[in-house]
Amino acid sequence: MDAFFVSVEELFDPSLKGKPVVVGGKHDERGVVSAASYAARKFGVHSAMPLRTAYQKCPQAIFVPGHPERYKEYSGRVYEILQRFSPRVEMASIDEAYLDMTGTERLLGSPLQAAHKLHQEVKAATNLNCSIGIASSRLVAKISSDQAKPNGVLYILPGLEASFLAPLAVAKIPGVGKVMNQKLQEIGIRRIGDLAAMEERDLERRFGKWGLALAGKAHGEDAGGWFDSEIGERSDPKSISHEHTFGEDTRDPVRLEATLTHLSEKVARRLREHGFRTRTVQLKLRYSDFTTITRAQTLPEPTQLDIDLAEASRKLFHDHWNSRQTVRLLGVHISGFTADETQGNLLDGGRSERWRNALEAADKLRDKFGESAVGLGSGMRGHYRERVQENPAALPGKAPQKPA
Amino acid sequence: MATATKDTIPAHGVDFRAVTQSAPHFSVDRDALVRELSLAIGAVERRTTIPILGNVKLEASDFGHLSITATDLEICLYCRCDAEVKKPGAATLPAKRLLDYVRLLPAGSLDIKFGDTQWASITAGRSKMRIAGMSVESYPYVPTSGNAICSVPLKALARLIGRVSYAISMQESRFTLNGALLETGDTGLKMVATDGHRLTLAEMGGSGIPAKNLIPRKALVELNRLAGAVPLDAVVEIATDDNHLFFTVGDRILAARRLIGNFPEYERVIPKGFTGCAIFNRLALRDGLQRVRGFADERSRAIKVAIGNGQVSASAQALETGEAEDVVSAETSGEVTIGFNAEYLIDFLGSTEAEKVALSFADEKSAMQLSPVGDGDSRYVCVVMPLRI
Repeated sequence: MDAFFVSVEELFDPSLKGKPVVVGGKHDERGVVSAASYAARKFGVHSAMPLRTAYQKCPQAIFVPGHPERYKEYSGRVYEILQRFSPRVEMASIDEAYLDMTGTERLLGSPLQAAHKLHQEVKAATNLNCSIGIASSRLVAKISSDQAKPNGVLYILPGLEASFLAPLAVAKIPGVGKVMNQKLQEIGIRRIGDLAAMEERDLERRFGKWGLALAGKAHGEDAGGWFDSEIGERSDPKSISHEHTFGEDTRDPVRLEATLTHLSEKVARRLREHGFRTRTVQLKLRYSDFTTITRAQTLPEPTQLDIDLAEASRKLFHDHWNSRQTVRLLGVHISGFTADETQGNLLDGGRSERWRNALEAADKLRDKFGESAVGLGSGMRGHYRERVQENPAALPGKAPQKPA
Repeated sequence: MATATKDTIPAHGVDFRAVTQSAPHFSVDRDALVRELSLAIGAVERRTTIPILGNVKLEASDFGHLSITATDLEICLYCRCDAEVKKPGAATLPAKRLLDYVRLLPAGSLDIKFGDTQWASITAGRSKMRIAGMSVESYPYVPTSGNAICSVPLKALARLIGRVSYAISMQESRFTLNGALLETGDTGLKMVATDGHRLTLAEMGGSGIPAKNLIPRKALVELNRLAGAVPLDAVVEIATDDNHLFFTVGDRILAARRLIGNFPEYERVIPKGFTGCAIFNRLALRDGLQRVRGFADERSRAIKVAIGNGQVSASAQALETGEAEDVVSAETSGEVTIGFNAEYLIDFLGSTEAEKVALSFADEKSAMQLSPVGDGDSRYVCVVMPLRI
């Protein structure tokens, strides 16, 4: 999707069109840019940049708060369309997806025809622009869709991948960030073609396994990283976490506890969506001076209940919080998953059964009326405005963001 | 050299106190040694990290006894047989290696002589062997006697154990469920076990001092083994101290560390209001379930049991494997379809000899109860929580 968050905001407020827009919050708020319009990007504003820096670079930009529920709604609509084009869809993030088009020629025609049809249908259903890259691998498809922006379709014919990639900067390769780019520049590699000319063994010696993956990528292969699985293959999460940075650092125990409860509710909800139970709860606590501690606890029995996680994280917090210091960030992280139990429990007096029923109802309400529709009373004061990254740095959120 | 006089022998009539620290020398009958060692070895940890626990302690006393002690620190077995003691003393030898060797010897007497260096020479006929032991001083001490709470026939107790022990939890997170509760009182003995998914309760006649004790699973296993090695009329005396339980059967004593903690209030768990019941042939359903379980989901072992209209049917389906169904005729009242872990039902059906059993239920979400029909008047129930299907 092209400038997804901004485009969605424009749908709700057409006056934003064509202007420099920054999504993420007020210009003097703590926090980072979630997305910037093309007009704002010209001033050097990009996502993940602190809002205050963005304001310095582009004071005339219009700063709007993010609306995660809107983005999820539109992402869901797009997902529905994608599913009509291929049974194998992999949502790489809220606004990016891979489709495996193998075997769809008789139904949808040539790749280019199919892509144009998809492009039109997305536009018709959402009034949003997108760009499509077509290639024999996810890597080349992603890079070509970047090259196709805005609002374009680019088809890299099989066999021409290497010559398409060769003139592009190495930073175009997903996974090559600031640090890697710097290292490559140091050894004189600027373009993907330079990289492709390197000996594989040389790269492996220099950068280890990642060097090998890099060599593959330079040749246009889906090598390493999040390209390891098949398109559309569900990989189960190993851990789930949520964290929150306070607008202002706090040492108000009620507020801190409420935030932990709320974070626990959020991780528990995702845990239930995946049909798991968890055994390990970890607290992340960052003080105003940025010292950060993490403390974990293993539960006596696997659970998927909000209250169990909230209780464990609150206990961890009280055991380890130095109450003279103000807190900047809290996070709840769970891991050690086991499959959900279908066996009834004889000894808990029906507690887990009652909670299961209550949470099932609560989850239905959340599906229908949004995440804040219902929650634990003790977490009420812990609600915060959710932030969403357009292109999260650490990708692989392969399951679609809950289609609305 | 320390010697014991008759009047210091404890109530059990066995004196297991350290006789001496000097190297013993004695002759013992091969069959008797094999018999007692085989029993004692049940308490020897197979993969122990504490080397001395892989050994048995051998004590030759002035009374003409050889005492054999084995422990893993959780349970301890004391056994005894007659011996011709040439020099009293105590020593230890590797349990398994010793048993493996003497088991292969022909019947007859064998001579065991310890030197001063922990080594023992074993001579039997024309066979000779030398084996390294470990210092007896580092062998742990476990007490052997406490306050008696009751005496019952061992075979009857073993029967009680067989009825409840399969429900003991294998999960170590709730350690009080890793054993069975033994309740003694004026009206008899009661044993209860549960793993949180099912609960078994069995009673037997007898009388004792009112007490509740949690017996660890391993002790129950060893009691069962002891029961197999004694005459039909053998009696077990049960005694306790603050930390231990003692089961004395003739010359043998099983000591076990008591599990300390809260056992669930089991009477509350046993369901009261049933809406229906089915009575059927025990073996017919057991055989049917054994056929069907091969098609149950491997993890949950889920089978579907449908009761009503004069029959009980058990069925299972695995998406990629296939499906199976078995039907048993029954006297039924009420109707229900419930999901169960097949193993839980099979465990119960294999734990009683009754020809017929009764299954009482309320609805598909509530615990149901299994019990033998016409199996004397001692109570035996197995309560099983259903699976959501």
